[in-house]
Amino acid sequence: MTAPIAVSIRDLHLDYEISEDRRAALRERLVKHQGTGKRVVRALKGVSFDVRAGDSVGIIGSNGSGKSTLLAAVAGLLPPTSGDILVSAEPKLLGVGATLLPGATGWKNISIGCMALGMTAEEVDAQIEDIAVFTDLGEALDRPLHTYSSGMRARLHFAVATAMSPEILLIDEALAVGDEAFKQKSADRIDELLENAGALLLVSHSLNEVRDRSNRVIWIEQGRLRGDGDPETVVKDYRSFVTRATAKST
Amino acid sequence: METVDTSNLKSVNAQLPTREYLAEMWDRRDFAIAVPLEQLRSEHKNTLLGNLWHLGNPLLMIAVYYFVFGKLLQSNRGIDNFLLWLTIGIFTFRLTSSSVLGGAASITNSKGLIRAIKFPRTLLPISVVVSRLISFGIELSLLAGFTLLSGVGLSRRLLLLPVVILIHTSFNLGGALIAARLNEAFRDVQQIIPFLFRLLMYLSGVIFPIQNYLGEQITGLAMSVISLNPVMRIIDLYRWVFLGTAVDVGATAKTTLISLGILWFGFRYFRAAEWRYGRA
Repeated sequence: MTAPIAVSIRDLHLDYEISEDRRAALRERLVKHQGTGKRVVRALKGVSFDVRAGDSVGIIGSNGSGKSTLLAAVAGLLPPTSGDILVSAEPKLLGVGATLLPGATGWKNISIGCMALGMTAEEVDAQIEDIAVFTDLGEALDRPLHTYSSGMRARLHFAVATAMSPEILLIDEALAVGDEAFKQKSADRIDELLENAGALLLVSHSLNEVRDRSNRVIWIEQGRLRGDGDPETVVKDYRSFVTRATAKST
Repeated sequence: METVDTSNLKSVNAQLPTREYLAEMWDRRDFAIAVPLEQLRSEHKNTLLGNLWHLGNPLLMIAVYYFVFGKLLQSNRGIDNFLLWLTIGIFTFRLTSSSVLGGAASITNSKGLIRAIKFPRTLLPISVVVSRLISFGIELSLLAGFTLLSGVGLSRRLLLLPVVILIHTSFNLGGALIAARLNEAFRDVQQIIPFLFRLLMYLSGVIFPIQNYLGEQITGLAMSVISLNPVMRIIDLYRWVFLGTAVDVGATAKTTLISLGILWFGFRYFRAAEWRYGRA
């Protein structure tokens, strides 16, 4: 028997239009961007796959292959150029690069992050102690977020994103920066989510992490699907691809 | 690919119908309060007097204008209680200008939040407007104190103050929403707005009574345009509430409609481009 579909990605294309150096200013719009450096970056070029409830899918690929773009698109943060993304519940994205309110304390960031995800002030009050304990940040929670290391920030974000037990959790490189103790804790939390028929999409450069965490691996290269299946096989294919590419360039 | 049952799935990019969108906003109302409180707290964090500047700033501004216009230029001719008259003008005008200017920066300043979490982006300009309203509340209680001290006393017209604030806020929020989208597309907007507001300040009778020039030095088309100025009319309403100065009923009705229209347009205009605010 197959579990119900949690995420269905159909022929997803996503282009970025970037103006070189900086954001388009009024002047460029007025002069009809003739000669100005507008470039289209085709980050995703027709990606399709389905994820079922209970699936833990690792996503691998070289830098700039489109992994993070894919995740942001599934979270609804980046609109596709064409194609569609269907979900059974609102996905929650946890990105290590994300900063909420840099000037506010860790405590404030937890409560405001939870409220942005849809918690009420009472729900935050009831849960904030548990969330704080989970982050293991201790007195650092009294300090502003911009004083945090990337690992500390990732802990806070992970705790916030999983506080509402999302059915679909998206993780972008977040766990690789945590220390061993936190990795264990977050692994347990993810197992809990998966047991409750959740689904996980995990982007990571740590192939070991992907292999340990996932029951399926998707390999994306230059915006296209290169592999999809059993973690051992896909990771092995990717490794030999990397070896060949490095051999070519030296 | 196998065919699958997708009846339980929904697209992540589907634009919500307005009713559901408003429900999502309502679900996150605590967020729309928590963010402005945090902003207010951190605003003067690096100054010696800290939060006292929320009061000190408008008081100093009144002192400057009172000195120049009340004492040096004597443009207070024909105005009773000039100091109160001026204070009302400055407090109310500042609410509009800071709401719109803050609204303009609300998307561009919150890229981190926007990239991290999906939530109705209208909450960002709303939270700016809420934070300005909280400051305004402090200023109003100061104003009520001045009114009592000066012997003018508080009248029953004060009961209509919430209605005036409601009209004023719908104008400010509409302006903040429009400015937010414009500034997201063209950063230049943030540079232009202060000058527009300087012009608007002179056209709104904040520090001298432009109303007295209408039909005399100002005639024709200029008079018709300036007469419509909702900011001028809103300031008149506050002065009516506190000082009992004259107010034009027809103009008040028009101002209410204009303010609600700007809010309606601003909401739609902001939402139409909401999908791309997280980009780049």
